[in-house]
Amino acid sequence: MYQNAPISERVAMIRAMYRAKKPRIDLARYKLVTEFYMNNPQLPGVLKRARNLRNLFEKMPTPVRDHELIVGHLGEEFRASAVYPEHSFQWVLDELDVFPTRSVDPYDLNPEDREYILKTGDFWIKNATCAAIDEVFPEEYYRDLLGNGVLNFTAKNNSGSPIGHYCGNYWTVVDRGLGSVLEEIRAKKAALLEKGLQGNEGQTLQFYRAEETVVEGIILYAKRYAAEALRQAETCKDEKRRAELLDIADRMNRVIDKPCQSYHDALQACFFYQLGLLMDSQPHGISYGRLDQYCGKYAEADIASGKLTREQAQELTDMFILKVAEINKLWSEGATRTGPGYTSGQLITLGGVDKDGNDATNVVTYMVMQASARLKLHNPPLALRVHEGTPDELWEAGIETTKQVGGVPLFEWDKVAMESLMRRGIPLEDARNYCLIGCVEPCICGCDFANSGGDGNNAYTILPAALWCAINNGINPFPTLHRSTVKKELKPTGPQCGYLYEMTSMQQVLDAYKAQIDFFTKWQVTMVNCYEYLYAMNNPLPLLSATMTGCIESGRDVMWGGAKYNGAGNSSIGHGTVADSLNIIDQVCFRDKIATTRELYDALINNWEGYEDLHQYILGRCSHFGNNDPEADKYLKFVADTYSEGITRGTSPRGCHWTAGCWPVTLNVVMGMFCDATPDGRKRGAPLSDGISPVQGMDKNGPFATINSILKFDQANYANGTLCNMKFHPTALQGAEGDKKLRAVMETYFRGGGMELQINVVSAKMLREAQEKPKDYEDLVVRIAGFSAYFVEVYKEAQDDLIRRTEMSI
Amino acid sequence: MTEGRLYDIQGFSVQDGPGIRTTAFLKGCPLRCPWCHSPESQAFYKQLSWMSMRCLGLDACKSRCMKACPKDAIEEGPLKTDVQTGEQLRTVHVKRDLCDNCGACADKCYAEALTLCGKDYTSEALVNRLLQDKSFFDTSGGGVTISGGEPLCQIDFVVEVLKGLKDNGIHVALDTTGFAPWETMERTTPYVDLYLYDLKHMDSAKHKAAVGVPNEQIHENARKLAAAGKKLQVRIPVIPMFNWDEENIRATAAFCRELGDAVEVVQLLPYHNMGVMKYLRISDGKPMEATPPSDEKMAELKDIVASYGLNATIH
Repeated sequence: MYQNAPISERVAMIRAMYRAKKPRIDLARYKLVTEFYMNNPQLPGVLKRARNLRNLFEKMPTPVRDHELIVGHLGEEFRASAVYPEHSFQWVLDELDVFPTRSVDPYDLNPEDREYILKTGDFWIKNATCAAIDEVFPEEYYRDLLGNGVLNFTAKNNSGSPIGHYCGNYWTVVDRGLGSVLEEIRAKKAALLEKGLQGNEGQTLQFYRAEETVVEGIILYAKRYAAEALRQAETCKDEKRRAELLDIADRMNRVIDKPCQSYHDALQACFFYQLGLLMDSQPHGISYGRLDQYCGKYAEADIASGKLTREQAQELTDMFILKVAEINKLWSEGATRTGPGYTSGQLITLGGVDKDGNDATNVVTYMVMQASARLKLHNPPLALRVHEGTPDELWEAGIETTKQVGGVPLFEWDKVAMESLMRRGIPLEDARNYCLIGCVEPCICGCDFANSGGDGNNAYTILPAALWCAINNGINPFPTLHRSTVKKELKPTGPQCGYLYEMTSMQQVLDAYKAQIDFFTKWQVTMVNCYEYLYAMNNPLPLLSATMTGCIESGRDVMWGGAKYNGAGNSSIGHGTVADSLNIIDQVCFRDKIATTRELYDALINNWEGYEDLHQYILGRCSHFGNNDPEADKYLKFVADTYSEGITRGTSPRGCHWTAGCWPVTLNVVMGMFCDATPDGRKRGAPLSDGISPVQGMDKNGPFATINSILKFDQANYANGTLCNMKFHPTALQGAEGDKKLRAVMETYFRGGGMELQINVVSAKMLREAQEKPKDYEDLVVRIAGFSAYFVEVYKEAQDDLIRRTEMSI
Repeated sequence: MTEGRLYDIQGFSVQDGPGIRTTAFLKGCPLRCPWCHSPESQAFYKQLSWMSMRCLGLDACKSRCMKACPKDAIEEGPLKTDVQTGEQLRTVHVKRDLCDNCGACADKCYAEALTLCGKDYTSEALVNRLLQDKSFFDTSGGGVTISGGEPLCQIDFVVEVLKGLKDNGIHVALDTTGFAPWETMERTTPYVDLYLYDLKHMDSAKHKAAVGVPNEQIHENARKLAAAGKKLQVRIPVIPMFNWDEENIRATAAFCRELGDAVEVVQLLPYHNMGVMKYLRISDGKPMEATPPSDEKMAELKDIVASYGLNATIH
């Protein structure tokens, strides 16, 4: 049976340091960017971004810490968190004094750094991209739609995250080296000038100049680390460490620029390239993709030739994973609630098939998983691609890892994910090369700008709010989320389809709901397309574009549609809540006539108060979605299809259709707080349903029925990913026999049309105990939603939601 | 088509036979094992069950159950603390001497604290219900387990269900006390892939004293099943002070040995007291309570069984 090998002393020490260290806000990046932006207002977007990044590459500190074999940092201090003012900054100023003490993911901040921010922060109020966002969004939205609760383009000047959610082309960095890319860029530029610029090629020229600037820059940046290692080696007394430092110096002089020669090179190159991407843009779902495919052949060659023992290779892998884990994303308190636990969304994808469809497992697949399992790390998140040809040993390794580190890895079924990508128009051979981004979003590795996180802030369509608009003449009655900004009387924000008590048939209810979804998805697309317009101008991504297949060839940045494939993703929240609500309206008002539409409407408006009989009847006596009852479950399909048809109708400025997704992170809890009572029996403020799962606690017929119900819509229509959480009691899955049974449950779900599963093997009892005695459960990792986290670092409401999710036990 | 009575259907059953299974629990049993952990399985009639955990309190439901009862059998019972609010809730108590299990109160208890335990299915309806889980059986090498109570007490129904399942290629296990005429047992043999077969005590007098019936018929049926080439998974509930002495365990093992290749495995099931609360749902009485056997004791007994050349496991 699968077992963890012992951890090396050095790795154990780094891990202990990682767990003990409270992250600190580090101003190295902030200071350089602020100074650069203040001094260079004349630069147009693409050149400003490129030279800003180049400036960082030339001036950022290059710490090489004791014991490190893989180097690179986003700041001075261990676990430092960089600050990205170019995108948005008001929230940093607003929350400056809360960072060290806030309940979710606190950060330390030095007094002098605080002063520096206060002194310079005002500059960013007008100079951050989000100041311009307010200018480009149509005033009709603010006039007519504010407070709808379905979409959340609300507050001014506080969009916390930039466009993120992509995966660079690591193969180019590892196998070719960026030196050869630089030659290609220079040749392109020279040819362009030789021929003379035609048409729009003024833009093309700026693009190549930007590319040249940043690629030279990152090569230089690597060599600066080499110089630092060499400097340390000169004074190092410890012979062993001295040799290591010289080795680092040698490596940093070669990698990034030249092709890799070893597994160690490959890991360093991947990490350093990612560091470059993170230097340019906030860690917002910037994912590693198929790490085992980039590095596998190097590891296998090194082990075969005796250059590395398996233990040494594993130690390097451990250190790599710890380096990735070290990177935090500093978020506003509100946004942190959607992804608590110091996550940075740098998802690594493992396993799957090669371009010919053969199983692609290699030694790195196992080593990365082993690193997560034995270090008990939730970060970085791992996705394991599984298919009919996945080796038994890999299934076993994946399941044992997920039992030890809740939800790591998540399991993604190749067939359904690939089918969804092919419906985006991607040919089979490329679809086989998909990875997952951010939480669970499929995207082709290295050639697809899938932008699965929308504009980075408002990637969600909150379906239960649309249901409210449908039964309340376009008015969402409980949009407290925006009460601070909307003081006016509640008014219709969606199409006015009348009130539930005026409706005389289920078809009318369904038509009203569909009208809302069509309306709000149209606006979702409208708003993010405006955002993209601005981004293409102000925030191109030059380093990403240097490797992403298609950009250098076409002379266009990824933000200008230069990648070989393009996508634009959205996610939705509350499938289960709406499906069950429609089911209950049908059952109670039309089919069984237990209550009139007037009574049900009044019950909802009054949060069930005075309607206890009806409330209890709905919860206890009605059939609910999630119990394999076709009458109840048919509404899941309706809800899923209505949303996916609505959003998929939209097109992006980069020439692709939008894609549907369903992964709520913990927004189902947060958005639930701002959603009025719903017909399924949910009270005002309670969490919405999670992912594509039934309403918490309403699936009463065990996991078979739950799974059969969930499978009633076509997940391949969700090219932006679906998310399904399952929690099992440990006693149900003990030992090797338990692993086999868990695998069988997963395979049944997948073969039935399921795309993704994440498993928690913990008892509700254990979680309650962890709430009470957090000290005893510091290392308990659980899958929250699109990511895993240390349970004790998650805020109470999300902990409670996790406990409530039906425990699948015997 | 015959109707049968069940008290539960449980999917994702991982302990009653190979793979992942769905277990159908039939209601009614001729034995009265004092350690039974499913007391609701014993009576053949439908029984009113009350689960304190689900009760919303008389103030919340406005005493609907009390008002519905034609026999005045529901009175105010113990207080309980609401888990979420910490409030004290007034709950109910069923006067069993007055209750005739008519279910009128359960009909009005939307929270399903009061339920009528026992649901009737036609064999066709049950087979269709069980077939919904087929995809799980296929990937895990699982199937359906028909359990009880004692399924053989509803033999006509059981045979129709077994036929229906076999027609769809489902692996079927029958969990039985073995207490039935051979003619009854024999009717299941064409369809059952595996018998989960209880051996509680080798001494017939002690057997009868404890569970109410002697064991000769049970042993004879086991021999005949073995002779008919059927597979058995023997289960010994290890009950402190009743059957856990070395002499009885040796005698049981020797009997299993005698059955030859038919016995695939002998499972030792340690007594547990998790069923105790269930008695209070359907009665005022409490069952026997004992300290579960220690892990060491179980290991010792397992070694004894294994020493007879049997594949022994602790379940």
